[in-house]
Order: sequence, then structure tokens, then C-alpha cells
Amino acid sequence: MVEGSSDDTPADSGRGKSRAERLAGWFDSRLGLSYEMLRPAPQYSINPFYWLGALAVVAFVIQGVTGVMMMLYYVPSPSQAYATTMYVFQDVSYGTFLETVHLYTAYAMIMLAFMHLMRGYFVSVHKKPREAMWVVGMLMGFVTLGFGFTGYLLPWTIVSKSATDVGLGMVQALPPPISSFLTFLIVGTGGDAAELLRFYDLHVVILPAILLVLLGAKMYMLEAHGVSEPVTGLQSPLPERKKKLIPIFPDVSFYLFELAAIFGAAMLLISVVFPLTLPPEYSAALAGQYTAQPDWYFLWIYQILKISAFEEAGLPVALSAITLIFVVLVLLPFIDRGEGRAITGRIKYVTLGAVFVAEVAVLAVWGYLTPGQVIPNEQAALVLGGTALLITLGSALLYRLLSGGLRKAGASLPAPGGSSGVVRTGGSNDAALRSASVWTAGSFVVLVALGTFSISSAINAVVAMAMRGLSSAVLTSLVLALAGVLAAVAGAAYLLYRLDLPNSRIKRRVRTFELGWSK
Amino acid sequence: MTGEESPTYEPAFERLGTRIVALLLLLEVLSVYFLWVLNPVGPHAEDAFALSLAASLVCFAMISYIYRALKRDNRFGRAPLIAGCCFVVTLLMVGIAL
Repeated sequence: MVEGSSDDTPADSGRGKSRAERLAGWFDSRLGLSYEMLRPAPQYSINPFYWLGALAVVAFVIQGVTGVMMMLYYVPSPSQAYATTMYVFQDVSYGTFLETVHLYTAYAMIMLAFMHLMRGYFVSVHKKPREAMWVVGMLMGFVTLGFGFTGYLLPWTIVSKSATDVGLGMVQALPPPISSFLTFLIVGTGGDAAELLRFYDLHVVILPAILLVLLGAKMYMLEAHGVSEPVTGLQSPLPERKKKLIPIFPDVSFYLFELAAIFGAAMLLISVVFPLTLPPEYSAALAGQYTAQPDWYFLWIYQILKISAFEEAGLPVALSAITLIFVVLVLLPFIDRGEGRAITGRIKYVTLGAVFVAEVAVLAVWGYLTPGQVIPNEQAALVLGGTALLITLGSALLYRLLSGGLRKAGASLPAPGGSSGVVRTGGSNDAALRSASVWTAGSFVVLVALGTFSISSAINAVVAMAMRGLSSAVLTSLVLALAGVLAAVAGAAYLLYRLDLPNSRIKRRVRTFELGWSK
Repeated sequence: MTGEESPTYEPAFERLGTRIVALLLLLEVLSVYFLWVLNPVGPHAEDAFALSLAASLVCFAMISYIYRALKRDNRFGRAPLIAGCCFVVTLLMVGIAL
């Protein structure tokens, strides 16, 4: 605990107080209603990873400036939107530059917001007393995605209109009361003109206003709670020089200005190297020849919906599952309620987060490479299941390394040696551990391959059974696939049991396979 | 900052920092002047504008870094600053050439 942060708040420890006072204290400690503002920040906050959210705000400011300049020329009607955008490109001084910088800073804002989210997830910034900050930050993330969704339509190109129609199709696949409400909210009751006007209003008035209100609330809470202490994973205490408090102005402010300047320069250079060109104007005739595809930040969702199991009748199920992911992310502070913030103590959550990031990346790239193609179930199971299993394996091995580092650093794990049949990390057993680790990793890879193949075969057999009816060949295939799944799960469970990750040791040895492993 | 306040005080760093800041200010003025006289309807005007503005921003970031470094402990990495100066000069030269 340092002075710059406020993890232990007096308002929160109110024994003997009435329920109303405790409730008021809870809100005060979370929302920071009674704290002084613009306090000095600790030295450890001078780190780019602490400023990802601030850089997203810088991107928002750049978008505001360039957006206002484009607003001077843009007319939000289907007959003039494309022409006025083209006018900016061709006839306005620095027009292409404006449009390009606006688009790339929008992309950067979304990417920075995602990085900010995942960094916060991995270092557990959502824990007490920053739960409300997390929820507000998630809402800001949704608004950022809303900016992307609404802004993409405005040029009225074949690419943007088709992508927006894909997004609206997703919304319309939701259950009727929700879908009709959202559809009315987003596109109104009219046709293209109403849709474009709504998107324009949302993009330039409503969403910026919401974002500014949320930003103000988050900044207020940041000032109240201070920045969270770094989590190294080794639980070693921070050196005093890192805890030293430095003034907001000029030290912290100038650091932010430096980051903002470098970020701005990077955006300018990217705009020079990859200038934007305007695709053809939207028309119903042209749309029929074009394969619709959302922009990259929605590709992962689109790719999930392209899996054949989620076609038509399965679509609401997929959308509900995706909604559930977002709901879980918003409510994370109330789900992951453990006290510890160290990465080594949160192996389940860290692994889940790593799997999520990997799956999103894989789905996005895969979606980019397969526009408009329906993905067979077995292929989806193989790719997604394989990714998840490989990341889990990598996480387990990484955790072993961190645990080894933790023990070498003199932390609280048990000393080397121990009872018969147990090999611990470090000391004279290092060679044995390496040998065992190689065999374990090899076994995991084989099990991953067996598991993914079996899962995909099982799904394939179930689909074949549903479509073509029961036959002995399909039934045999299903039984064999399920046996393979069981074998893979049992083998993986056994290996995990042997690894005994929480205690950084290996429990048993199997001489037949693990050659060179001596006690 | 005095030597009594910081045990790592080295006059050489302060002198070097001052020289680099002077050079960066000169480059900053040059980039602003170039932005001012740039013909906005000329060919590649947008690229030249972006490069010059980027050079100006990098100059500002480096000046701010030197200020913070000298204020904190009188130390900064020489190689990144020299590389940064070369980068700024390159940006400006490409911008002017365009």
C-alpha cells in the first residue's frame, strides 16, 4: 500500500454503523466522493502500460478534432454522403490526410481500449476498491465499439454499408423484444435515410456525450483511488524509489504529453505510408456482387456466427453466448473476488484471459481469410479447441517457470526434496525436472491432438446423425470419438495432477517413459 | 538542481542535455516554418505536412524527456536521443524533398 493508492479505505471498514451508513461508505470508498483531487502519483506509474487508457483518450481527442473538420463538409443523406466524402478526399486541402488520420486513430482507439482492458484483467485492477472503475471502463469500451460501428457507415460506401447490414442482421437475430427495440434505436422506422441520420447523430452527438460523462466519472474515481500497484508475479516488494510520489505537474503531465506526441507522430507516419482510398459508392445492385464483411474489430464475432452449428436456428444461441461473454466481463469484479492480485495466484483467470485473447485473434484472422464462407463444425472445433488447449498448456508451463522463479527469489514455496516419489523444482533435481517437463510437454501435445481430433469427430458424428439418421457407422464413429475425448481428458487430468502446479512440484514418476529422471 | 540534491549529479549530462535541447528547438522551429510555408495544393503536400508535423511532435517529446530526466536524476540515454535527432532530421528532409 502506498500513499498514491487507496486500497484500504476507512469508509469501507464500518463496524457498528447502520446499514445506510455502511452503504454510503461503500459508495464513497468505490466512487471516491470525499477524496482530494490531483494528488501526486507514485513513480511506478511512469510506465506506458499505465497509460493505455489515456492514449485511447488522446486518440478520441484527435478523432474529435479531425471529425469536426470533416463535419464542415459532410451531409448525412444517402444521396450526398458519398459525394461529400469524396469531395473531402479530392478537393479539400489535406482532406485525404484528415480522413486517413481519423480512421487510423479510430482503429488505434479500439486497439488501445482492448489492450487496456486485457492489461487490467491480467493485473486484476478490477478488485477492491476499483470495481466501479472497471464497470465504467467496460461501458466506455462499448461506447468505443459503438463509435466504430456508427462511424463506419457514414461514407456510404459498398464496404461500409454491407458491413453495417451484417451488424444489423446480428441485432435482428436477437429475441423479438430486444431486437425490435435495438433496431428502432439504431436505425429508426424508416429506410436508408433514417438509418444514416441515426448513425450520424449517434456518432457525433450521443456517443461522444456519453463517453465524456463516463470519462469524467472514471477520472474522478482514478483520482480518488490512485493508480493500482504493479503486479510482478513474484510478489517481491516494490523498491522505495518506485513508491516515491511525484507531482502531477510537471512530471506526470509531461510524461503523458510525451506519450501523446509519440502516439500522434506514429499515427501521422502510418497515414503517410498507408493512405486511405475510398471504395465505390453503395448501391443495391453492387451490393449483390460484394461479400459483406464487418470491420476487423467485429470479425471475431462474425466468424463465430459463420460456424455451421450457429447458422439460422443456432444464431440466437451464438449471440446469447457472445452477450454472456460481455456480461461476464462487465461483472468480473463481482465474480473474481479473491484478495490476491499476483498473476501466479490467479492461474485459472490468467489462463482464461490468455485463451480469450488468443481465440479473438485467431477468429479475427480466420474471418479475414475466409470472407463469406460457412465454417464446418469439425473445423471450428479443431481450430478453437486446439487453440484453447495449446494456450492452456503454454499457460501451465509458463506458470511452472514463474513458480520456479518465485521459489528462487526466496518466496514461500516449499524447499527442494521431499517424500519418496515426489520431485520438486530447483536444487539437485533440476535435471530430473527438465527431463520430466519435456516428457510432460510432449504428452500434453499428443493429448491436445487426440482431444481436438476426437471433439471434432464427435461433433461431426452428431451432426451426421441429426441430418442423415442413425447408422452403425455413425454410431461407431461417435463412440470412438467419445472414447478419444475421455482418454484425452483423463490423460490431461493425470498430467495436471502429477504437475501439482500450486506447489511447484511433480508428484509421481513413471520410469518406463521418463528416462533420466532420478530422485 | 544542485549536486547536494542529487548524488548522481553530473555536469556533463546537463551540458549535453542543453545542447540537444537547443538542437531540437532549432529543428522544431524549422518544422513549424516549413508547415507555415507549405503549399497545401501542391503534389505530396499531405505527406510533407504529416512528416513535418510528426517531426515536430517527436522533437517535443524528446525535449520533454530531457527535461524530466534532468529534473529526476540528471541521467538519460544518449543513444536514443541521438537516434531520435537523426530520425527527426530524416523526417524533415524527406518532407522538404517531397
